[in-house]
Amino acid sequence: MAKADGERMLVSRIEEGTVIDHIPDWRADTVSRVLRLDKLARMQADISVVILQNVSSKGLGRKDIIKIDRWHVDERDADILCLVFPGITVNFIDEGKVSKYTPRVPDTIEGRLRCPELNCISNAEREPVTTRFATLKKESTLQCQYCDALLDFGKVPDHVRT
Amino acid sequence: MGPSADFLGRDVVSARDFKRDQYDEILRAVEDLEKNEESLDGALKGKLAALLFFEPSTRTYSSFQIAADKLGMTVSGFAGPTGSSITKGETLHDTVRMFEGYGADVFVIRHSKMGAARFAAEISDVPVVSAGDGSREHPTQAMVDLYAIKKAFGRIDGLKVGMLGDLRYGRTSSSLAYALSNFDVEITFIAPEALQMRPEVSHFLRQRGVAPRTAAALKDVAGSLDVLYVTRIQKERIPDPTEYEKVKGLYEVNLEALRDAKPSLKVLHPLPRVDELSTDIDETNYAQYFVQAAGGLPLRMVLLNLILGGVR
Repeated sequence: MAKADGERMLVSRIEEGTVIDHIPDWRADTVSRVLRLDKLARMQADISVVILQNVSSKGLGRKDIIKIDRWHVDERDADILCLVFPGITVNFIDEGKVSKYTPRVPDTIEGRLRCPELNCISNAEREPVTTRFATLKKESTLQCQYCDALLDFGKVPDHVRT
Repeated sequence: MGPSADFLGRDVVSARDFKRDQYDEILRAVEDLEKNEESLDGALKGKLAALLFFEPSTRTYSSFQIAADKLGMTVSGFAGPTGSSITKGETLHDTVRMFEGYGADVFVIRHSKMGAARFAAEISDVPVVSAGDGSREHPTQAMVDLYAIKKAFGRIDGLKVGMLGDLRYGRTSSSLAYALSNFDVEITFIAPEALQMRPEVSHFLRQRGVAPRTAAALKDVAGSLDVLYVTRIQKERIPDPTEYEKVKGLYEVNLEALRDAKPSLKVLHPLPRVDELSTDIDETNYAQYFVQAAGGLPLRMVLLNLILGGVR
């Protein structure tokens, strides 16, 4: 089955929203976790999410795709995604027009991740601390700017703040 | 020579934040103060030091308190959670804001959470000096340690330094390793695997081009060392009690363990000690730890004077 046909069979084109493409096959759940798509349920908005898994891809052989109707993913979250899946692509769709966003490895990440060190001040109850990580690009690692703990890019999905 | 401008108003939250010439300046100033003990008396008259010790402390609190007193400062705060509003659940954030409102000119903070000093420094408009935060760092202790080494050998460069014990949960060893990365020394981490240095410390050292050796037991390296830095197993910081049971009593430095050591070896320990350092060393030439502890007072006087711009 051709890729385009496979997709067309499953979901129609969206006019407004976000398409996250080139997700490695069977990893859409990880993307969903990083983007905190579960929060959409709490928003009670008219938003639909379609997750396509293991569809044909010329470049990857197989891939996952997430289409979110009527909601734009925050670019900062897309940047966090590219730590885990560097080949991922993000398309924003406005009134049917597609604009491609190229996620970039950010220099710092604020407020979106939990520190892996449980004894870090940023994990202390009631202290008003915003977590902040610096990116050590060569080492594919983040470093907490409070306690210095290291967090491998690959483990980022386990430390997304809910 | 007066304090250099790059100390003025600085936070002291990590030993990584200081460079070789700054360490040299601090050590020189402590030497000067020891030669002329009254030279800084009253230098910070009229200023307020807030000593906020969210964890109990004896020597660090006392040395900061006496240092501030001798500098002529007013001292306020608490020496541990008991009897303070911390037991009522007051946060670090609110405590810092409150003392800032009282006119604190400097904060000296000890806290059980890693990174607490950095967080306090973000909140505060006045300098924050870390007196230890969790198992992360204890930067002023590292300065005390450097001074003890310098005092024993007249230099730090060229020495072989072994760091023994609980390197993972001990905050003094990470700060000392950071500080030593500014000097031409050979470092060996001596610890069982479970207590070896934390990854972020080794990572920083590698970035600085420092490649510490590791050893599982003191006997493997005792004969080659100039300095042996012994630390206690941090029972209170090891999250799993069964992990503590496995490692307690794994090492003890006594005369027998130092049988192959150089006669010039100096043993340091940030104190307090438990079982890891035998009293049979106390009266030998190896013992440098009481000299080391005594250096805490002049060093903290010098540091406060430098960052608050006292005597020039």
